[in-house]
Amino acid sequence: MSDAHTEVGRRRFLIGTAAAAGGVAILPAGARRAAAQAKPTISYWNGLTGADGKVMDELIDQFTRETGIAIEQQRIPWTDLYAKLQVSVPAGQGPDLALIHTVEVPHFASDGVLEPIDDATLGGKGFRGEDYLPATWQGGTFQGKRYAVALDVPQHILYLNTKVMKDAGLVGSDGRPRVPASRDDLVAMAKQMSKGDSFGFAIGTVAPGRYTWGFQNLLWQNGANVYTSDLKRSALAEPGAIEVADFWSSLGGSLKISPPANASCRDAFIAGKLGMWIAGSWNFTGLRDAKVEFTVAPVPRLFKQPVVWTMPHQYTFPKPKSVDRAKRDAAWTHIRWMTDHVAEWTLKAGQVSATRKSHTDPRITGDPVLRTLLAQAPNWQAGQPTPKWVAAENLTRPVIESVYTAQKPGKAAMEDLARQINALPD
Amino acid sequence: MRGRRSRTWLTAYLFLAPGLLLFAVFRAYPLLEGLRLSFTNARLGRATYSFVGFANYMRLLDDTRFQVSLTNTFVYTVGSTVPILAIPLALALALNRGRLRTLLRSAFFFPFTLSVVTVGLAWLWLLDPVVGPFNYYLKAVGLPVRSWLADPHTAMWAIIGTTIWWVTGYYLVIYLAGLQDIPRDVYEAAALDGAGAWRAFWAITLPLLRPVFLFVFVTHIIGSFQIFGQVFVLTMGGPGDATRSVVQHLYETAFQNFFQFGSASAMAWVLFAVILVFSLLQFRLLRGHTEY
Repeated sequence: MSDAHTEVGRRRFLIGTAAAAGGVAILPAGARRAAAQAKPTISYWNGLTGADGKVMDELIDQFTRETGIAIEQQRIPWTDLYAKLQVSVPAGQGPDLALIHTVEVPHFASDGVLEPIDDATLGGKGFRGEDYLPATWQGGTFQGKRYAVALDVPQHILYLNTKVMKDAGLVGSDGRPRVPASRDDLVAMAKQMSKGDSFGFAIGTVAPGRYTWGFQNLLWQNGANVYTSDLKRSALAEPGAIEVADFWSSLGGSLKISPPANASCRDAFIAGKLGMWIAGSWNFTGLRDAKVEFTVAPVPRLFKQPVVWTMPHQYTFPKPKSVDRAKRDAAWTHIRWMTDHVAEWTLKAGQVSATRKSHTDPRITGDPVLRTLLAQAPNWQAGQPTPKWVAAENLTRPVIESVYTAQKPGKAAMEDLARQINALPD
Repeated sequence: MRGRRSRTWLTAYLFLAPGLLLFAVFRAYPLLEGLRLSFTNARLGRATYSFVGFANYMRLLDDTRFQVSLTNTFVYTVGSTVPILAIPLALALALNRGRLRTLLRSAFFFPFTLSVVTVGLAWLWLLDPVVGPFNYYLKAVGLPVRSWLADPHTAMWAIIGTTIWWVTGYYLVIYLAGLQDIPRDVYEAAALDGAGAWRAFWAITLPLLRPVFLFVFVTHIIGSFQIFGQVFVLTMGGPGDATRSVVQHLYETAFQNFFQFGSASAMAWVLFAVILVFSLLQFRLLRGHTEY
């Protein structure tokens, strides 16, 4: 029965295919041109490997339904994505569209991997600087030229584990966890929660010892940075950076308030073994899914200024051998569509947008976490615009881990790191 | 006659051609291109580069992280060799006979069917200092716990332990094949001469397993010098640089820290030279053949 059915189906299919081919052959020239101008399929690489990837899939499906433009995504971890871009683009095998972090823009631009975007095109597609928060708009440029358009602003936030803090008596009269008012306060509160394999405070999702983004956040709070303001040499051997390194060392060492260097802070927080946690905004949807009882607060001021680390995602056009206008237009259509639908992205993926418009959306301002993220905007800071930023970050990782695990004192480690960064080739 | 011989050669080379072509394109060319790049300041993304002589090799003498990586790789190689040689052999002897041998062989071989990333991620979770089951059970039986992968004194040993768990099944199968190649009558003759199990092991099993030993030894040493996956997943070379291996250093130089292909190629050739020397030494040490 099924065989006969298959046989008929196959025959019908062949006849249908032949008829369709014949039909195309006898179509008038205008209709053939229209068929040839069918909506293109664009390739899009990103590193949204977490829960945000599923949200992106949903939005892309919706985009394809509405516009007829299909998108083939390649989703690979960010580090691999960047290596792949660097290798594939010069060979003419890059994607039509790529989502990258702001700090990657300078070196990709400098190496000719990214296509510059001129103001006329940008304006023609309806993108205007005044619609964006200044830091995110500026992050898409390098040496006066634009290479990227920002989508959203992943950033740090302080997560407070309600149960852990309640058990330690660190809640207010309203039953909500207390928010540390200063570094001393944070340390005192964290000590109250640290016992055995439970810890009071951590910075970083996994492996807090080598969490460079957390270390950068503290550097910026102390007025220090990776490079001097002229970007010519490393500023990590300066007193402000060394002070941060000493605090970093005490987290895993003398204070005994933070998990071991390689612990998964996210798992510890979910398991009720971590009280206060500075981590990325991308974690909060996962915490809600895991039904963890938590609240959030702005990143506390642990040094001189309440700076909040951010790393905006940027849309870029990897440089092709020759531009396919239809695909480029389709890619622009997608950026425009995502920018117009960014509120959905914010609500589902937990990343607040780089554009201002959705910041007043009542669905967003009604969410306590998103409201807190938006309230941090005046304190946002991102990495310095130098092609050597990412290479310096890679060198930083093991050095700060050696500080965290007390293998090296802060001062010697920072001096060594500054020397390594200064030795990076041009 | 001469024509027939040349036709025979031609036929042979035609059959070999696909293999030779693949070897030339995917092995020989990259190898030689790597050697050429090691004498340049090539960086991916830069259109031009120049010849720098031995500068990349000389720089390795000052590169403390490369030296640390080389030392760590030696430590891993030395620390893992004896257990890798001994544990699968002991298991092979135990599983050479017995009722449950097929089931047990499969059980021991199973970890090797997993990819290094799967093994690494599984052990990363098992050894997690806060929520990992390993420390949980140690604590439950009253033993001291620690952050195995975050402690510079234990991290390398944790990696070695993970590797042993992963590859034991593979070497076990090789040893079993070797053991089953040893004729039974040799053992029977030894038994008639009054040799006990221990004596038979030293006088028959070990000498006749020499080729298998050589294979396990050489492949393990080569593999050890190339260790990357376990380290990358379990510790990323940390804590600090405590478990950083040469291949990791090379990979990061080539693909993360500014795509310095020239420097990375020089590291690759130094590593190649080290592996070559060790392989030759092993062949020299274990050469010879035992027959009864």
